[in-house]
Amino acid sequence: MTDNQEQLIKEAVKKALQGDMDAVNNIEDRVTRSKAKAALVKAKREAAKTSAEPSAEEKSEESGSESKPASQSPNQQFAGIIASQFPNTVDEELSSETHIQLRPAKWFDVAQYLRDDPACLFDSLQCITGVDLGEDSGLEVRYNLHSMTHRHAIEIRIACSDKNPKVPSVEAVWRIGDWFERETYDMFGIKFEGHRDLRRILLPDDWEGWPLRKDYEVQETYHGIVVPKVKEGWE
Amino acid sequence: MVLNIGPQHPSTHGVLRLKVVTDGEIVSDIAPVIGYLHRCFEKHCENSTYEQVIPFTDRCDYIASMNNNFGYVVAMEDLMEIKVPERVEYIRVIMAELNRIASHLLALGTYGLDVGAFTPFLYMFRDRERILDIFELTCGARLLYNYMWVGGVSHDLPVGFVETVYNFLDYFEPKVQEYNDILTYNKIFIERTADVGVLLPEVAISFGVSGPNLRGSGVKWDIRKDEPYSIYERFDFDIPIGQGLVGTTGDCWDRFYVRVLEMIESTKILRQALKDIPTNGDVHQALPKKIRPPKGSIYRRTESPRGDLGYYIISDGSPQPYRLKMRSPAFTALSVLNEISRGWMLSDVIAVLGSLDIVLGEIDR
Amino acid sequence: MGVFENKFQDNIVVASLDKLLGWARSTSPWFFQFGLACCAIEMMATAASRHDLMRIGMIPRSSPRQADVMIVAGTVTMKMSLRVKKLYEQMANPKYVIAMGSCATSGGPYWQHGYHVLKGVDLVVPVDVYVPGCPPRPESLIEGLLKLQEKIQSERPLTRKTA
Repeated sequence: MTDNQEQLIKEAVKKALQGDMDAVNNIEDRVTRSKAKAALVKAKREAAKTSAEPSAEEKSEESGSESKPASQSPNQQFAGIIASQFPNTVDEELSSETHIQLRPAKWFDVAQYLRDDPACLFDSLQCITGVDLGEDSGLEVRYNLHSMTHRHAIEIRIACSDKNPKVPSVEAVWRIGDWFERETYDMFGIKFEGHRDLRRILLPDDWEGWPLRKDYEVQETYHGIVVPKVKEGWE
Repeated sequence: MVLNIGPQHPSTHGVLRLKVVTDGEIVSDIAPVIGYLHRCFEKHCENSTYEQVIPFTDRCDYIASMNNNFGYVVAMEDLMEIKVPERVEYIRVIMAELNRIASHLLALGTYGLDVGAFTPFLYMFRDRERILDIFELTCGARLLYNYMWVGGVSHDLPVGFVETVYNFLDYFEPKVQEYNDILTYNKIFIERTADVGVLLPEVAISFGVSGPNLRGSGVKWDIRKDEPYSIYERFDFDIPIGQGLVGTTGDCWDRFYVRVLEMIESTKILRQALKDIPTNGDVHQALPKKIRPPKGSIYRRTESPRGDLGYYIISDGSPQPYRLKMRSPAFTALSVLNEISRGWMLSDVIAVLGSLDIVLGEIDR
Repeated sequence: MGVFENKFQDNIVVASLDKLLGWARSTSPWFFQFGLACCAIEMMATAASRHDLMRIGMIPRSSPRQADVMIVAGTVTMKMSLRVKKLYEQMANPKYVIAMGSCATSGGPYWQHGYHVLKGVDLVVPVDVYVPGCPPRPESLIEGLLKLQEKIQSERPLTRKTA
């Protein structure tokens, strides 16, 4: 390695350690560039060993509370805001930095507030997931919300029993709730109160049972066709 | 009058049934009926190990299987906090972008077929075959690859891969101009698609539409730029949005044109990735011996050719996922069909459906 | 008459008419495009420019009344199986079915926990040729079609079938 190259690599690594990756990425010669990247990895490892500080995390909301004790994760922040606006809806013991646990009673109002309030502006419902937590814990519905303007995201969980599960519907707040809730109803049997058209979406209308529950038993025949595996000796 | 379109019909999107309520020729309501391809993907995931889930994710969105795999492994690596080697990152980005081009070629070709143009279909499939040849060179499969594993990829790049892809890019970039000449600026195509099925940005966001459908309405949102994953921050590329060049912003033509421009952006990313890829490195170096993620859950999104592909994985510490939910972008795109096609004629409904670029395997899972 | 010279022996007329009919029916089977899932993409790729299905005489027809062969490409679910049966009954005789891909043959990768997946389309319609693969390469599908052609040619539609 010539002196020029060594010099170039040293400077590029120094700049990259301060956060400017362009110096490394702009090196034209591929061999030198890869050497610079290797030197950078080594330098970073040394720096981590000597300072013994956790390296800065990127955009994941879960880790916000670890490296900076003063700030909270978005989930904790919004749990506080919701609790102040709608008392008795947030279940404080079960909420954490990864999610907000809500009681089902006023979910529709909370949802409207989350969508319309200028500090929140959660205009995008990303995903509704139904979960079967087992016999003792019942079912749960999890909502992932995201804001296109403020770029923050939270997760809300609402628990319900598995005997007669009911959760208020938010399809009037986020239009995609319509289909997501129908799918959760189809797979788990959770009834969404206030939904204008709650019926099965993926399975046929005359299907029996809620497939994604852990205690689901497949029905024997459907319109005369045998459902479970028929052919012998396949296991 | 209530008409029934499907589930078997000449349009190539899959088994979709539309119950169309018309008033003469004008459509007043459409109810899509889905579930004809519900293959119990989530139940299978709960009963298979984390490695065995990957071929199932392939088969959900079978046109862009590399991107499906990518989304899953990015979510798993976030959950397990695995860092993959540089070479693996570059290989993944190259494969994902090649598959994005292949997926858009199929989407555009079949859209031409829906609207009545047979020639672009043949041209685009001819070019798509060249991409499938590249995939076959690498991992042996043409359509469903099982290529990206948690912590690495299944096969390293073969000898001569980089030259092959450069040859393909040199061949492909002038072809986009050819497609523009036959289809994009074709007078009949413009009359069929401009101003039809306008999707307003607020409606799109409320319905959770993402990807080229949202960008066609003028919203600049791309997970690769706004919530970057893997090494997408290192590449320099634009996000094309619809601007209503021949009609209203957010019409079918805009969604079509955004896909054409995205193919060009993907070629830019590919050229940069091929220049920078590290020449050596073991692709199986970071593969975990046994995948047992810590207890917890994660929701992670990546950009598939159809939009925001999200995986919600709940792990209970065992080698099998407790719950795995795939949030598919085409599901949300199809739900907006009713809103944007009211008041149009029946043949316009086919044009709108084609522009949304749905894949039933992903919707029904 | 150049095609028929020295091809058939001095037989009774019925036998050579059989062969003539077999030749006519097998060499241009129009297929009913029944693409359901991933195999449909490979079927489209087979019909596209590189592996051309037109050279063996097959054109995609969307109506069951105009088709001879139904290529069931992809997974058949319970919801869809009733429609497959209905469409098969709407096809006109002579009709044949090709089960393309492992999902149509026997349920495919979804055989174990697929509560909604039909474990093979032969539970609802009679299948003539099975093409394995997930998805089968276009060359495999073409071989399956050629095997179907052989099968059609060997049929004897005019001879009376005894018991």
